Amino acid sequence: MEAADLGQHISRRFNEDLERVRSRVLQMGGFVEQQLQLAITALAEGDSESGERIARDDYKVNQMEVAIDEECGRILATRQPTASDLRVMVAIIKTITDLERIGDEVEKVGFIAARLATMETPADHYRAIRHLGRLVTEMLHDALHAFARLDADQAIAVARRDRHVDLEYETIQRQQITFMMEDPRQIRRALEVMWVVRALERIGDHAKNIGEYTVYMVHGKDIRHLSLDAAEQQIRATAEERRG
Amino acid sequence: MLSPVWSFALARLVLALAVAVALGLLFGHVALWLVVVLGGALGWQFASLYRLQHWLRFRSQEDPPDLGGVWGDVVALVGRLYRSKKFHRRRTLVLLREFRRFAAVLPDGVVLLTVRHEIRWFNPAAARLLELRRKLDFGAPITNLVRDPALARYLECAGAGPGIVVRVQREGAERCLALALVEAGAWRLLLVRDVSRETALLEMRKDFIANASHELRSPLTVIAGYVEALQDEPDLDDEWRAPLADMRRQAERMRRIVEDLLELSRLEAGGEEASFDPVDMPALLEQLVRDAGSRRPDGPRLQTEISAGCGLLGNAPELQSIAANLLANALQYTPAGGTVTVRWSGDAGGACLAVADTGIGIAAQHLPRLTERFYRVDKGRSRDSGGSGLGLAIVRHAVQRHGGRLEIVSVEGQGSTFTVHFPARRLQQFCNNP
Repeated sequence: MEAADLGQHISRRFNEDLERVRSRVLQMGGFVEQQLQLAITALAEGDSESGERIARDDYKVNQMEVAIDEECGRILATRQPTASDLRVMVAIIKTITDLERIGDEVEKVGFIAARLATMETPADHYRAIRHLGRLVTEMLHDALHAFARLDADQAIAVARRDRHVDLEYETIQRQQITFMMEDPRQIRRALEVMWVVRALERIGDHAKNIGEYTVYMVHGKDIRHLSLDAAEQQIRATAEERRG
Repeated sequence: MLSPVWSFALARLVLALAVAVALGLLFGHVALWLVVVLGGALGWQFASLYRLQHWLRFRSQEDPPDLGGVWGDVVALVGRLYRSKKFHRRRTLVLLREFRRFAAVLPDGVVLLTVRHEIRWFNPAAARLLELRRKLDFGAPITNLVRDPALARYLECAGAGPGIVVRVQREGAERCLALALVEAGAWRLLLVRDVSRETALLEMRKDFIANASHELRSPLTVIAGYVEALQDEPDLDDEWRAPLADMRRQAERMRRIVEDLLELSRLEAGGEEASFDPVDMPALLEQLVRDAGSRRPDGPRLQTEISAGCGLLGNAPELQSIAANLLANALQYTPAGGTVTVRWSGDAGGACLAVADTGIGIAAQHLPRLTERFYRVDKGRSRDSGGSGLGLAIVRHAVQRHGGRLEIVSVEGQGSTFTVHFPARRLQQFCNNP
């Protein structure tokens, strides 16, 4: 009786530890999400002050990553989780790395937004970039939601959307090349814009990675280098196995 | 006083015992008769108790037992209790159903949280506004799903302050949600309201003021310039001197109003919190007082009392504007013989900037409205003295952005003291007393 109580007690404390660290990951994600939104707004509105502030605040993301990493190390050492708990830990450690990289990309966007603010705004007010930004922001948002809810289906849906981002990236690239050919004076700005677009595209990739870690966390399947259809099939098969 | 039921029961027992004693005296063996009668009474009690217990256990299926005496009374009481409980339960269920229906049509979102901010329940509006999913999200910390860092901070300090506004993306459009926390015993209620329209209107108003003041500034500069040039004209008719001087004064006043409006809109656009740059307050105050003294050598006596050497963490131009506006007000309403004192004091718990004057003072009924824009205590007089009417509004905004508090104490005819309290987190580390 006592032993059972103790066992339950330990596992409950462990669960609390896991939940807390998961919450911290999501808070870090929330901060990165907000930074990303602000960076895109700063770019669209030509707000150099806001852009600089965003670039400066990247250190907070790095701090959060280090803190969560330490916490994970502590949990691994003291609780020695196995099976699904271990998968959660692994997924968390990988997720924060990707979040930190997203933070770096956002820093880049903020920095370039501050620089672009001093140049002339194009006639379309960066409509294409704002569209791409919205796609990427929604991807990151949904990836974090899937992570919070352990929702593998939504995670795969996020990974699928990366294709749209890639398409949009190519479109903007072609558009910028046209600008540069039409008017060589535009080359400088076009190059800066390409950096931003490239950063946004990378953020999409990182959001996709987070989705993949969520699938790994829930089903224990590594779907990283599979086509998404194959991944979905595999997951369905395991789900049925488990049910049968 | 015994109730009739009890008197009857006791009388019956006494009667039975009397009969037993009488029978014993008649036939001998008094003790035996007593035992028989008492045994019978005990048996009857047991039988009643058994029927009562049986009924209580299966009372929903059976009618209440027909028991006499005290037992019958007990049965009646239990029955009444049971019926009223059943009634209450039915009423509670009806209420609960009504409440659910009511919560479903509520236009604002309501989320019930535990003290650890886990979601326990929410209504459909909250689900729609915050993208929550019924059942799936019960038990999850709300900060996992609404990840705006402002919410985490707000919940951390247990909902101190007037609530927050978070921006979320919904179907490609940005929406503003006002969140407010209400403590309800062991629970917390998070109220969610869509304020996108209000926020948009507010922003429009701010933009309008900022743009209008900006547009007014350039024509004003031209007018003031020409008036000045005309005044310097040597062969100007003397009867034009006074009107021109008046024009110049009014142009100057208008320029100040426009400047103040611009500053106010800048403060409003700057977000909720001022930056945290180190500002040497004692030096700033000394400089201000020196400047004011040299500008009006014939004005009231000026003195500074600096009792703390610490600086603040804040926005230097805004802090300067707080002090300058308070000082200008004090000088304006203090006659030449009076005294204006600027005090700077502080300890680990916070710092204080106080500007005290021995001027005309302010009547109590004006104090609450003093920081409103263009609020005038005395309409006729203030117009000549040339203030923009925005000084204290600027002070209030700037103080708010530094997490501080403005306190006004005044006695009519004796003077006023304006005190700004800054919180401890705005203090610079090295706070030593000179």
